[in-house]
Amino acid sequence: MKAKFEVRDICVKYGERRILDHVGLEIFEGEFCGLLGLNGSGKTTLLHAICGFIPMQGGCFVNGTDCGKLTERKRAREVALIPQTCSLEGGRTALEVVLMGYNAWLHILESPSREHREKALDIMDKLGCRGLADKDFGQLSLGQRQMVILARCMVQDTPVMLMDEPDSALDFLNKHIVLQKIRNVIQNEGKMGLITMHDPNFAMKYCDRLFLLKDGAILTQIDMRKDPECKIKRDLSTVYGRIELLKNGKEYLMVRGEDA
Amino acid sequence: MSKQKERIVFSGIIAAIFIAAIISVCIGKYEISLGEIRQILQGDPDVSEMSRQVLFTLRVPRTVMGILAGAGLGLAGCVYQIIFKNPLASPDIIGIAGGANLGAALAIVSVSSAGMFGIALGSFAGGFLAVFCVMLLVKATGLRSTATYVLAGIVINAVSKAVIMGLKYFADPENELAAMEYWEMGTLGNTTASKVMSVLPMFLIGLAGLILLHRQIEMMALGDNECRALGMRLGIVRTVILLLSTLLVAAVICITGLISFVGLIAPHISRLILKRNNFHTMILSGLIGAIVVLCADVLARSLYSAELPISILTTVIGVPMLVYFLCQRGRGRSV
Repeated sequence: MKAKFEVRDICVKYGERRILDHVGLEIFEGEFCGLLGLNGSGKTTLLHAICGFIPMQGGCFVNGTDCGKLTERKRAREVALIPQTCSLEGGRTALEVVLMGYNAWLHILESPSREHREKALDIMDKLGCRGLADKDFGQLSLGQRQMVILARCMVQDTPVMLMDEPDSALDFLNKHIVLQKIRNVIQNEGKMGLITMHDPNFAMKYCDRLFLLKDGAILTQIDMRKDPECKIKRDLSTVYGRIELLKNGKEYLMVRGEDA
Repeated sequence: MSKQKERIVFSGIIAAIFIAAIISVCIGKYEISLGEIRQILQGDPDVSEMSRQVLFTLRVPRTVMGILAGAGLGLAGCVYQIIFKNPLASPDIIGIAGGANLGAALAIVSVSSAGMFGIALGSFAGGFLAVFCVMLLVKATGLRSTATYVLAGIVINAVSKAVIMGLKYFADPENELAAMEYWEMGTLGNTTASKVMSVLPMFLIGLAGLILLHRQIEMMALGDNECRALGMRLGIVRTVILLLSTLLVAAVICITGLISFVGLIAPHISRLILKRNNFHTMILSGLIGAIVVLCADVLARSLYSAELPISILTTVIGVPMLVYFLCQRGRGRSV
């Protein structure tokens, strides 16, 4: 049976203001899904609710296990998060940052072993960033940092990977490089990925399915593998207004209606 | 910095502490020569009883306390700067220093026969009570972010200062006020072997705990949510680390009084030397703290006929060291 990550009926309120309204979605093994929406639609709040950072109603389940009932340590063995940018300023090598991914698997007083270091270096090698291992994290470019954080996420070895706009600070080329690596990891390792993004063009290129979030609720979802152009255009316009879709081979490019 | 260079730095600083400790044991109003120390250690009966008494009852406890004080303040300062993500953090940040100061002042004013042991007890209790109040305040707000701890620390420090000002206003200027002021400036002059032995277990518990939890401390340089996402039980871990560092600092300042600047500058110097911010930086920060306090104490009792408060000298020694390393970094030289 295929592994499944399920978000069931999540509601989040800040005071009287409802931020998420009965949000539900399902992601299957090897699927890379995008969460699209305008600013303030609740994308980051949904990821924070899944990670247990904020109180919520509803639940999220990894292969039937209710993450809401797990401790931070056990939850971190099921769900990993790649933030927009890592909050670390520097003073640690990239390898030390990657090794932090083992935290959920180590005893509180235990340090990573030689085997852990070798495995972390192998993962960095796979991602093409082994050469950064001994460099100070603070001196890396933003693209290199995101690659190191992706390696940390792989070291954490969770079935579910959540990503909160990991490409937001990257240039055009680095966006493609990082997103391609993430997609490869999810497909090759059979993980379940959910990424929040601002740019629908990148989302359409790299994600298998897109969830469209508006005012705290999921309006609709698009399956990029099989939905027709007319459905994709209609669904995207519910969030982005008047748009046009241009087709380039098998890929789509979204532009504003008046510019088309 | 390469591992070999790191080893050289650590060896050099340990050698410097050893030399400073020997100087500290020898120098004072009653000077003891190295030859006399050797004779005493070999059990030679020809050495004067006075030298033996001065060595074992005054100099050795004082030197040991100097090393413990510097190491404790340097290490705790580094831990605070990492977990509060604030380069200006020091043991004052969550109210320990303010609370200990208030505890000492209350002991001086309310128990006239308190003596040095009573003041030490008062400051230890005050330091712990202040941190306990900070934690209560954080719990009451319901906001358990790092910034809330810092703000709660500022509140408790402000309250402590206000009460101390009140106590000073009504204190007897000849005895009580002078004792309060003197305690605030710090000294190792009141150290005895029994005092060192009484705080040593608490110091060692704090030190061992922080060393064992070094991986968690290093991770706390990340944001709160990032720590949680990596599986850290942030609330519990932060509370334990704060209690352990409070134990370390309170064990020191209840004997020495407030020693300013060491907890702030030792971590900076350590980071500037190693160009890292990890476990090694914490340890080096403790060692640098030890050397600063030992040197300051030697100068405090040899520069002037009367003993000077140690905080004056920790600042005098610490500031040029910090400026030197900042200049080295600014010029891009390797240190």
